[in-house]
Amino acid sequence: MRRMILAAAVGLVLVLANPATAGEIAVSDLVSDGASFAGGEVTVVGELIGDYGRRRNGWTWTQLNGDSYAFAPVVDGGELSGSNIGIGVRIPSEIADALDPPGRYRTVGPIVQLTGIWKYHDPDRQGETYLEVTDLTILERGRPLSESPEWSIYLAGFVLLAIAALVMWQYTRKRDAVG
Amino acid sequence: MLIRPAADDFRTIGAALGRIMLVVAGASTLPMLWALIGAEWHPLGSFVLMAGIFALVGSLLIRVSLAPRRMVQTDQDHLGWSHGMVVVALTWIIVPLIGSVPFLLSGHFASPLDAYFDAMSGLSTTGLALVQDLDHLAPSLNFWRHLLHFLGGQGIIIAALVLFAGRGITALFAGEGREDRLLPSVQSTAKAIWAVSLLHMVVGVVALGIVGYFVLGFDPVRSVFHALMIFFAAFDTGGFSPQSTSLGYYHSAIYETVTAVLMVAGALSFGLHFRMWSGAARRSHEHVRQNDTHDRDAGSRWIVLRSLETRTILLTFGFTMVLTLFGLAALGIYTSVGGLSRQGFFQILSAHTGTGFTTVPSSELALWGGMAFGGLAIAMALGGMASSTAGGVKALRVGLILRAIRNDVRGDLLPEGALVDDSYYQFGRHRLTHDVARSAMVVSLLFVGLFLAGAGVGLAYGVPFQQALFESVSAGASVGLSSGVTAPTMPVFLKLTYIVEMLLGRLEFIAVFVLIGFVYSWIRGR
Repeated sequence: MRRMILAAAVGLVLVLANPATAGEIAVSDLVSDGASFAGGEVTVVGELIGDYGRRRNGWTWTQLNGDSYAFAPVVDGGELSGSNIGIGVRIPSEIADALDPPGRYRTVGPIVQLTGIWKYHDPDRQGETYLEVTDLTILERGRPLSESPEWSIYLAGFVLLAIAALVMWQYTRKRDAVG
Repeated sequence: MLIRPAADDFRTIGAALGRIMLVVAGASTLPMLWALIGAEWHPLGSFVLMAGIFALVGSLLIRVSLAPRRMVQTDQDHLGWSHGMVVVALTWIIVPLIGSVPFLLSGHFASPLDAYFDAMSGLSTTGLALVQDLDHLAPSLNFWRHLLHFLGGQGIIIAALVLFAGRGITALFAGEGREDRLLPSVQSTAKAIWAVSLLHMVVGVVALGIVGYFVLGFDPVRSVFHALMIFFAAFDTGGFSPQSTSLGYYHSAIYETVTAVLMVAGALSFGLHFRMWSGAARRSHEHVRQNDTHDRDAGSRWIVLRSLETRTILLTFGFTMVLTLFGLAALGIYTSVGGLSRQGFFQILSAHTGTGFTTVPSSELALWGGMAFGGLAIAMALGGMASSTAGGVKALRVGLILRAIRNDVRGDLLPEGALVDDSYYQFGRHRLTHDVARSAMVVSLLFVGLFLAGAGVGLAYGVPFQQALFESVSAGASVGLSSGVTAPTMPVFLKLTYIVEMLLGRLEFIAVFVLIGFVYSWIRGR
């Protein structure tokens, strides 16, 4: 009995320690069934990726990816698991200014938890769909990745180029001799 | 009796093919340079390897094909029509094969077939993609994807024509589905096409770059990067994009508008471009005015709008636009007029020009049923103008078929013996003969057959009819819009089907049919 009470207490502490996950939905749900969440407040987790488009009206536009690559990009040895799954998000610029660079080649963007209003086919923006962020929590900071060259591929390439040059040199020499 | 091709035929084809491979090897130095500047050492190695393979294949083909006694002769002097067609078909099969090497080595593709699929999609300016984790892809690889659009759209063969001249090059030119010869020689026409394209590139990249920097708030380097990628994909009606959410990434009506202008420019025939840029229409008007001739078509200030092709494309665009907008309104997907018109207009323009950009996810496109689906599918199938980078049946053929039907009906209604005016205006008066009408009808029917065959394969794998037809038309008409069927997990045979559709649709059948005939006569001929 005491063990059961202890396990229940630990479980309760874990849930309370991460309260936002309770209302959290997957980015893929927003992409596949956006209409169901239209106009509602949603919380999503993912990687900020691409660019921070800082506009003059005080909003910064970027993309939030909620796929497996957000946590393990292919460049970083992540497994292939299909296409990217992302949504457009707009964040107040004063919040966005403090963020690490967005994810790109050799960069993992900040992993964030975003809460905001799901603007599905927003009439004020001629039918665009995006998340208007009201709250942003950084779960993991962005980080650079490294990718080392494969020298054997370079070697193979240069060898082929050298053979091609040799063949063409021999060809032009013989052609000139015949001509 | 089938005549087996002689050794000389193989040598002629091999030599021409070898030269084209060397041109592509030269072109592959561009992504190499990009990777070098960006210190992208892993992709750089794969570009070196790709250039090495292109160069080796090219040089060996030339060396083997041109024996010493024939070296003083230029191979194109022997290049006949069928040789040219075979060269074009082989080029379009081999270039994606070697061009897919950097994709495969990037680790972003599940298999060599997936990498080949994207290379063929890029070269054929389709835009369907199986790349995974695109948003973390190296910029140099993204550049190569989009450069494939440019090479395919402007024509690898065209590039080769600029460098090599010869008697048989007309066949090479026609093999890529180009009919307009704007200037006295094919070579000068090829140069004109590249000049028009490069001029558009400067204007397009500057315009998109300015919008990217000043309106979207991107940093200067990224503004130029996006501008260049989107230009390649828009002007060549390709549809690849540097981000996974396509044009929806930018959330900007202005960016979409500039892109739409480039898409329209890409869907216009090079003949039309050339006439507009060179002021041919104005000169024609002046000539008619001064000479007081009675050719009302040639003398019109709006000569461009008088051509059958322009009229047809305006008609079909209007028709499919109305159909789609009514369909969307009936479905109630967009609650505002602004949303309906902006999203509907962009999607239908993208479909009709054969570009394949989208501002909505594929899961949402799949919901566009009824008239909205019909409008999009018809727009994709019809495509842009002949001798443009767009695919599909093409406006000129549609116009000719409609005109032929109208003439037949008129002939039946008029008294016996009455003559029906069977001419049409397409930068000069032409007679709509039975041969012309039949040729347009045959190619159109081949396209319909291609779309249905691809849809049949999709259906066999359990894809719903609407999506199967949508995806097949998209692949066959070189569009690239997807309703979600195209994915790395789709069956291998379906991938192969779409690859074949992309190839056949882009080359408009003939070159591939001649290649099949050539191989068949080699095996069975005497």
